Amino acid sequence: MEEGRAERRRRTEAPSHTQGGPRRAGVMTDVHRRFLQLLMTHGVLEEWDVRRLQKHCYRVHDRTAAVEELEDFINNINSVLESLYIEIKKGATEDDGRPVYALVNLATTSVSKMASDFAENELDLFRKALELIIDSETGFASSTNILNLVDQLKGKKMRKKEAEQVLQKFVQNKWLIEKEGEFTLHSRAILEMEQYIRETYPDAVKICNICHSLLIQGQSCETCGIRMHLPCVAKYFQSNSEPRCPHCNDYWPHEIPEVFDPEKEREAGTSRATKRSLRSRQH
Amino acid sequence: MLQKPRSRGRPNSQAERERDWGHGAAEEAPSTSRGAGSSQEARSSSSQGSRRAEASPEVGPRSQQQLELKVAELVQFLLIKDQKKIPIKRTDILKHVIGDYKDIFPDLLKLAAERLEYVFGYKLVELEPKSNTYILINTLEPVEEDAEVRGDQGTPTTGLLMIVLGLIFMKGNTIKETEVWDFLRRLGVYPTKKHLVFGDPKKLITEEFVRQRYLEYRRIPHTDPVDYELQWGPRANLETSKMKVLKFVAKVHNQDPKDWPAQYCEALADEEARARPETSGPAPSS
Repeated sequence: MEEGRAERRRRTEAPSHTQGGPRRAGVMTDVHRRFLQLLMTHGVLEEWDVRRLQKHCYRVHDRTAAVEELEDFINNINSVLESLYIEIKKGATEDDGRPVYALVNLATTSVSKMASDFAENELDLFRKALELIIDSETGFASSTNILNLVDQLKGKKMRKKEAEQVLQKFVQNKWLIEKEGEFTLHSRAILEMEQYIRETYPDAVKICNICHSLLIQGQSCETCGIRMHLPCVAKYFQSNSEPRCPHCNDYWPHEIPEVFDPEKEREAGTSRATKRSLRSRQH
Repeated sequence: MLQKPRSRGRPNSQAERERDWGHGAAEEAPSTSRGAGSSQEARSSSSQGSRRAEASPEVGPRSQQQLELKVAELVQFLLIKDQKKIPIKRTDILKHVIGDYKDIFPDLLKLAAERLEYVFGYKLVELEPKSNTYILINTLEPVEEDAEVRGDQGTPTTGLLMIVLGLIFMKGNTIKETEVWDFLRRLGVYPTKKHLVFGDPKKLITEEFVRQRYLEYRRIPHTDPVDYELQWGPRANLETSKMKVLKFVAKVHNQDPKDWPAQYCEALADEEARARPETSGPAPSS
């Protein structure tokens, strides 16, 4: 599955240590630079929009050239970004499997991108929410539980009212998603912080049995406890009338979601917001 | 499986990453680290600068990887800081990123500048000679359609800024604040009234744009009631030009830049001055 791939690639490629200058792979042109600049204005971007962005950059700088296959285009850029310890990482939304992209840090710990936008106590609030989310069974932490921790925050004292607004700021900036008064991690946060989360909470962290990436929301086997992302469930059990747990072979008791189909979605013209709210949360 | 992504990136342990950027906040590892296992020290609150658990060698051989990582940090720092459009002070760079590597600061900065330009298309320039503050200039021309694919609003305030820069230039490079408001009133922008797009136009023009160094705002002595004069700031000169602004003004009036001969001449002279060979980039002045 896609999430594993970027990680695997990162691990197997040894960086070549030539000082400065472009790496042996990958050459940057203005097409790539404009793409990067504009990509950076988004915390996270869905694949369809990424393609649109790519086409735009070609149109501005190189109308005659054939638009390179997105995967190759991104790999090319990533080979240049390697020496800067950042990469364009591909993931998927946990609820419906939409492919998403974000520019993430490979070297420094998680919070640095947030660090410039938020105060010390706000960052600590995020950390507290993060811990509750990771510890939870469903991948969601209730507003109440988060707000109850407001007294323990580092830095300037924060009232609950204020904290509510800060949580909304996190939602607006795509670090958290809110559903019915509960909060979970946005795909942006998962992409940017997966490494950090796995290092910091090795015992509490949940992993998907299929793609082996970090799991916040998903389905679990009631017998043996293994977990899978909803989109991973969808792919794994696709057209399988008798889904069984890949680990213990017991019947899989949950509703199997549909595999995300970008074509179908655009035709239907369904608003994304509606679709998301139709998905029930399962665990 | 878990640890591999780290091994390539971290010459020093996690403690080294615990530095505060931004508003001197961000303790990067959480206080309740659940047996994360990496280093211990300096986890409690922040004092900036040289807070290394295991000090990298003071001077002497640093590994290629360490240097690479340092340049990477510097690039990131500059990108993030420039997002706010506040010029970046050399002292901040030294404090928050360079630390023990102070002895090779000029080299690190040069390398970072090269990467910034090659990879992102941003040029690192000093705001004014010997100012020891830097900004990033975009080497790519912004294009109207960029707005459709951006993630942020770009800056809706750019329109207002262009108008003010245009006003200043057309009026002979300096203008009184009262004149600015006389003009803007006609566009429905008032100093005292909240604006749908610009919010607080007075604050925007006299504070925000000034802080970002697009404008200079000076009190005119012996005026009663007090009046101020506005001129182009150093960033305006770096990011745009008299000719570009004249073209903008001409476009707004649906005319040709040459219809303003005095300004056109001045803009031409400015273009020529710019075309002359410049001194090389962001070499820190010392």
